[in-house]
Amino acid sequence: MRLAIAMLVMLMAPCLAIGQTGTDPKDPNKVSNDDPARPLQMPPASTETREALGDFDRFQRRGAWERALKSLYTIPDDQARRFVDGEKGFIIPVDRRRRAVLAALPAAGQAACRLFHDADAKKLLDEADGPDELKKLERVYSAYFITTVGDNAADRLGDLYFEQGRFDRAADCWLDVLRERPDTDLAPAMLAVKAALALDRAGRYSELEQLRGEIAEKYRDEPITIGGRSGSAAEVLAKLLGEVASGAEPAGPTAQTPGPHVSGAIEPGWQLRIGDSIEAGMQPIERNQWRSNALSVAVPTVAIHGDKLYVNYLSHVLALNMDNGKLLWRTGSFHNIELIAMQPVGQMLDPSRFAVVASGEYVWALSRDVKDQNMMAPFQLICYRAENGEVIWKSSDGADYANFELVGVPVLAEGKLFLAAKTGGPNRRMMGMQQQPQQFALAIRPHDGKILWKTEIGAFRQGERYYFYYYMKDDAPQPRLVYRSGAIYVDTNVGILGRLDAETGTLDWGFGYKTESFSANSWMSYYYNRPEPGAGPAVPISIGSSMLVKGMQSDRLTAIDPDRMKVLWDRPIARKSRLLGIVGDTMILGGAELSAVDLKTRSMLWSTHLPGESLDCRVLVRPDGIWQLTPRGIFEVDPASGEVRRIFRGNDLGSAGGDLVLTDRWLLSISNQTITAYPRREGGAAAPATASTVHDTMKEKASP
Amino acid sequence: MSKSAIAALALVIAAAGSARAQIYYGPYYAAAASGGPSGNIEGFTVVGKSTVLTRPDVVEIDLSVSAGSELTADAIVKYRDARRKLSEAFAGLKLANVSLEERGLKVNQKGNDNSGYFFGYQPNQRTRTEVQLSRRLVVRGKDLRKMDEDAVLQLVAKLLDVAQDAGGHVGPQQEQNDYYSWRFGGGSSNSLVRFVVEDFDKLQESAYEKAVADARSRAERLARLSKVELGPIVAVREVIVPGDAGAGPNSTAKDDDHPRKRLETSGYQEIPVHVELLVRFEIRTPADSKIRATQR
Repeated sequence: MRLAIAMLVMLMAPCLAIGQTGTDPKDPNKVSNDDPARPLQMPPASTETREALGDFDRFQRRGAWERALKSLYTIPDDQARRFVDGEKGFIIPVDRRRRAVLAALPAAGQAACRLFHDADAKKLLDEADGPDELKKLERVYSAYFITTVGDNAADRLGDLYFEQGRFDRAADCWLDVLRERPDTDLAPAMLAVKAALALDRAGRYSELEQLRGEIAEKYRDEPITIGGRSGSAAEVLAKLLGEVASGAEPAGPTAQTPGPHVSGAIEPGWQLRIGDSIEAGMQPIERNQWRSNALSVAVPTVAIHGDKLYVNYLSHVLALNMDNGKLLWRTGSFHNIELIAMQPVGQMLDPSRFAVVASGEYVWALSRDVKDQNMMAPFQLICYRAENGEVIWKSSDGADYANFELVGVPVLAEGKLFLAAKTGGPNRRMMGMQQQPQQFALAIRPHDGKILWKTEIGAFRQGERYYFYYYMKDDAPQPRLVYRSGAIYVDTNVGILGRLDAETGTLDWGFGYKTESFSANSWMSYYYNRPEPGAGPAVPISIGSSMLVKGMQSDRLTAIDPDRMKVLWDRPIARKSRLLGIVGDTMILGGAELSAVDLKTRSMLWSTHLPGESLDCRVLVRPDGIWQLTPRGIFEVDPASGEVRRIFRGNDLGSAGGDLVLTDRWLLSISNQTITAYPRREGGAAAPATASTVHDTMKEKASP
Repeated sequence: MSKSAIAALALVIAAAGSARAQIYYGPYYAAAASGGPSGNIEGFTVVGKSTVLTRPDVVEIDLSVSAGSELTADAIVKYRDARRKLSEAFAGLKLANVSLEERGLKVNQKGNDNSGYFFGYQPNQRTRTEVQLSRRLVVRGKDLRKMDEDAVLQLVAKLLDVAQDAGGHVGPQQEQNDYYSWRFGGGSSNSLVRFVVEDFDKLQESAYEKAVADARSRAERLARLSKVELGPIVAVREVIVPGDAGAGPNSTAKDDDHPRKRLETSGYQEIPVHVELLVRFEIRTPADSKIRATQR
């Protein structure tokens, strides 16, 4: 008998082990926050919390409601914002999971919950007043939503969120009552109208349309009074929506007007010659050395505000008048930069980490002083006065920034500056990491640099790169931020897309997509092991209510509905590709080549290889054409067929390629050699797509 | 040891010894290996050399198209479009003397040879196969001899421009492992084009004729100095023969090239058609001379 028991235990051991990992052995494609092979882990719930959730599931299946609920309510409050696996790759906070599992209880379970916890919920609701009102209501909404007062708490919480301008969360509260509490005593018509208004303000239009349909069908004639207006639900909603300025994102002036029309006859309006300025006075051998240096192909990053162009070229910040290209101010001359470039510290610099953002009054540049010979010197955020370049503040002066390595491109929205950061400053990297670095998102007060909030997105499972040997750059993927309808989306480019509330920094959820780890420890290679060049950091793209996500190291392209937290579709894609834009029903991808994928059939339509590839430059993607600056000129590509319509050699031949920026007046071509402003030539008709156009252009060029 | 074991051992030794005796040394070493008498070295053995110059008539540019993707269907679209655009671009030139030749299509696994060479060797952790389709294309421009140098340059520039504008990769293959090229040689040259002579039969005939004449002249000198009479040619061996593809260090012949007779150079210049022959003449003895005189 003992032997039989021992064998039984041994047989069950693998099952127990699988249960502990939290991964589903039946689904190898499932992305789990607890998978040790993934490079980034969102703040995980404790083992006890996960066990409590597992116990709840087990007991509720047996109908042991008391024990099930008891296990659920043993989860401490400080675990409510830790993360567990949700469905389809979403990684959700414990409080959301708790609310979801409670709402999914059968009627008997819900009745038991009310029996055991109504008193607690009512007590909390009664206490929800004054400064603790929001906190207590959130607690009721999270933990006691299915009790008899849960719907009232959600309604009040929705009102509070709406007053605070957190429309996204307000909509969720009211929608939860509508969808999950059919037994509510609250008027569903009123809830639906409030939810519709919040959806409209939050920019969640597809859900708004769906809800409007429901209101028209179910509550059309139900009288309500809201905002001093009375009438039927449909009428009041129509009136209120009519009064609210539509939150629809404008398509932008450039999308409505014709694209650039550049041909061999156009002379630039003005030009800033960076390459000539640096190479002036160089001997041939010096020039050769400079041109073989990686910094010589660095493309400046630019920002435009009003009639001014702000440039960050390897920590040299310049302001130019867009009308005539006249230099307004600069932080320093970039003469003799070739001397810095030859130093090991210069050769380790990653030019893609420099960034600039501008508003009317201020300019913010993310830079690392190239003259600083300290190999561990951090990148710092510096705020300049837009008028004259006066330094207003810099992150190196603030103690709050001491532990952060700022990385990525800042985003200016809602009067805040959002930026990603890693913990583990350079000094710790030198010391050899006592602790794995963490990925953070920061909200910064623009005018004085105060950190308004900081939120941890996750902790890296991979250590820092020891990139200071053999001239190796830190090529760890940079996160990218997108602002959308009151939320900040952070694509870490290492497998997690996180959504944060822009106002408070609360991390709502993460979406885990498949990714490969970035290579580490290649410093061990005795000979310089040149990696295959990959595409630059990817930025998620919004299309209507959905969002396309493709991490830098990922070979999957995924469309998600971030508001409903659903995966709409996904497809394999070349790891080297990146999202460029949307034209109608076609998604344009960059990478080793330009290519187009039909959003409906998800099949690849065409592919065009351009000189210099399309790995990290800024490409103009418009319904009337696609323009890319290459080392052989500006290529204009037909978005329908992928055919090259026209090649405009321009005044920047021989550059490393670069970015194109379209303004109302200019087509700015930004390369490692020049910033050239070509007249946009509004109204110019695109030439028909013929191969001969290309050859004619080449003939023009070939003949003197 | 039993008798049967001893017998088996003896059998094995005998078989091994017999096999060793039959090792094939190849024709070059056959004489040495056989241990027989040395070859006939009678007569004069001389080298006859000649060089005839000719201008190249063809220019060739190596291009490659490659496309990789997680989905093979995507890779096919990318590869098909890249190939079509290159073909159309050259067809759009409408030049009768320009053609595009295709070599073999390769289906590889992308990014599978990026190991860290020595110390940092990292096993490939890619769990998925990314398919890469690639093909080498050769653009050929003919009738160069009818053009002056400026026109040749114009043609080459046009071909290079069209190739690059159409997205073709000009020059050596991108996926080449630089380390192995450096370590074991075989690195490709920086030359983007090669000039070729293919139709050199007449020149070759002339070169052979001159090489034989050169050999005879050398042999006659030796005979004169040796105070013997030169006899007829009794053996000829080709040492350097023009147009052996893949024979020389500068040859760009690839595995997927058809074997053909041609001369290549990276510069636009007169290409030497070089022939080198090893010729053996007989020495006539006085008796032979008398017999010959009698016969006359």
